Amino acid sequence: MAYNPQHEDYQRLWLRYARTLEQSGTTDVAREFASFGRRFAQDRDSLPQTDADRSFHLVSEAAMLVDYKAPFADEPTYRSLRHRAQQYLDEALSLDPDDFDARRMSEALRLRSFEAYYQYLRDNADQARTSYQKALDEAARLSAQEDNPDRGHLSRDLALRPYLRWLASWSEQALICGRNREALRIAHQAFQLDPTDAADIRFTATYAAAKLEDVQELEDLAAHTFVPGCQRAADDPWTLLARAAMGFKTDDPQMASSALEQLLHLQPNAAEVLIRQSEFSDGYFSRLCVPPYSEDEVILAVSEGSVLFQEGRDDQGRGALSDWLAVTSAHRDPSAAMAVMRERMQGGGRSGTSGSGQGDAGLPGQGGAHPGEGGMPR
Amino acid sequence: MNANEELIQRLTLKRRRKLGGLSDQASKELELAVRKDPASFVDDDAERAFYIVTQALARHHASVADDDVRDDDSYAQERERRNQQLMDACNKALTLDVGCVDALLLRALLPDYSASHVFDHVNDLDKTLQDDDGPLTAGVSGDAWTNVFARPRLRVAAALARSCIDTARFGMAERRCRTLLEISPLDQMGARYTLALTLARMEDEDGFNRLDALFSHHGNAWFHLSRVILMYKLGRMSAARRALRGFDQLCLGGTYTLLQPFYVERYLPDRPDFKPGSFDESVYAVYEADPIIADMPEFVHWAVDQPGILASAHDFADRNGFDWHDEY
Repeated sequence: MAYNPQHEDYQRLWLRYARTLEQSGTTDVAREFASFGRRFAQDRDSLPQTDADRSFHLVSEAAMLVDYKAPFADEPTYRSLRHRAQQYLDEALSLDPDDFDARRMSEALRLRSFEAYYQYLRDNADQARTSYQKALDEAARLSAQEDNPDRGHLSRDLALRPYLRWLASWSEQALICGRNREALRIAHQAFQLDPTDAADIRFTATYAAAKLEDVQELEDLAAHTFVPGCQRAADDPWTLLARAAMGFKTDDPQMASSALEQLLHLQPNAAEVLIRQSEFSDGYFSRLCVPPYSEDEVILAVSEGSVLFQEGRDDQGRGALSDWLAVTSAHRDPSAAMAVMRERMQGGGRSGTSGSGQGDAGLPGQGGAHPGEGGMPR
Repeated sequence: MNANEELIQRLTLKRRRKLGGLSDQASKELELAVRKDPASFVDDDAERAFYIVTQALARHHASVADDDVRDDDSYAQERERRNQQLMDACNKALTLDVGCVDALLLRALLPDYSASHVFDHVNDLDKTLQDDDGPLTAGVSGDAWTNVFARPRLRVAAALARSCIDTARFGMAERRCRTLLEISPLDQMGARYTLALTLARMEDEDGFNRLDALFSHHGNAWFHLSRVILMYKLGRMSAARRALRGFDQLCLGGTYTLLQPFYVERYLPDRPDFKPGSFDESVYAVYEADPIIADMPEFVHWAVDQPGILASAHDFADRNGFDWHDEY
């Protein structure tokens, strides 16, 4: 699962609210809790919160703008949304200079190259870690004052997330910049902190392993060797596409075909996605929230996989593996090929999503990638 | 590939075997006679086929040498004409000898095919040759290159290794190159250059250092460029900067061609000869590294940003009258 900024905002305030209520000795706890949802939605300022909470709220607002709205907007609106997001992030940082989500997103919006963003993440990783440790200490202090393991767990989890998102972005940028071993090393750093891999950093790691043609690493990732707490089966599109890539690269057509076949079987619209192979910006906050096994998830995995699929010398500019995935998917599902062909003849192209349950949210569709306004070509 | 020289060696060897028991002096005289008029010594279909290929390649290379003076239209026309001519010659050769490896290889490599097509065909050819003739071996001399009749298969293996890089199959490229180095330690095919690039792409520092040491650190454009790529990928930026300075200073026009890549046609059938330390060497190294460089979106921009690099590249262009297309 990826991180939903609005839900996390809710969780933060709920936790603080619950603790405040308990300390206040309120007698009608049930009624107070029942009012939380309404107050969160309509009268947020009436809820107890710190500057760090207010800062995170602004981060969540910025994330909704740049990750879920801007990509579908026309050019002037797109620019205006990004500008507003930057203002939110500036304000977030004025409230909490230690908000490393805000710092990271702000730099991603400002910087114009993958390399610059990668270097920023690398050069400031120690600070991000120190901040996370401070937040973790604070979470432990508060948890020690109450006898509630669930809250203690949530509190630790919330303290960890900004740093996991930092590592996820860093690993992804390392992969994009062609530093595959570093992408793997960073992922392993994250696995040590969170053996459930709630941030799904292993998806990025599977692509790094495929780029290094490290079959053992890929299979260890699939077997959750490094993330024993992870609950999801290894039939996600990242793992299947990484396996297909591995088969293709090692001249093992059987391995390549069976992984692709499994993906096409699990997600009925995967063939269209693989023929189309649209590229989308990565989320600024985190990988976008989409339901497991959905078409949107395949769209995300294919978009992130462009670094893997498009490698090589190709006159058409899409790489041998990319070509193989598109052609094989078209053979397997001719109606999908027809649909994409019709779409191309009409001069369009879907930049959106089949609906991700995010309201007007969906997958960014500006082509290119993040960071930098308008994206950089991959 | 020095096709004419190979033809002479093949014809001399075959005639010597046929005559049997020639003295050294007689062998030398035979070779001189073959050199003077190879065609008159062609007396089996395999050599007839090889002869056709060598003549066609000579015409093709002569045409390529004149490309600089052609405008775009006449270049396109001439390119189509010479490639067709080469294809026709290969087809003709194969009617005489279905096993003419160079003709089969050239047909797979012709420039208008995609990288995937080339890989599929060269890989199939390599597998067929393995199945039919067994694996390549070093032979009694300890180096397969010394057997002139084994060279076509060495070319297939080397072309396959390069094709693996072009289609992002680096593990296969590494295995192919290592096999080539095992059976032909003299490495006339330059498999170590392909391997150096592959190891850099795979971020295998130990492997790269071992290869460099194996050839006594006699670096050339491939090795210098590979070291830059390797250090950059490993995030060791000061080492990458030093390696880039080395590439700039030791490889003639290296940074110029890195910043302003030259158009190079697919090798037919193998890497053209070049003088060590020449600009051609830098051009071929950068051309072969292109898929690896393109996989690092900021690599060239990073190189441009390093002190003195842009000025050095501009200076090389100015001194040699080369164009400058892209601004940084």
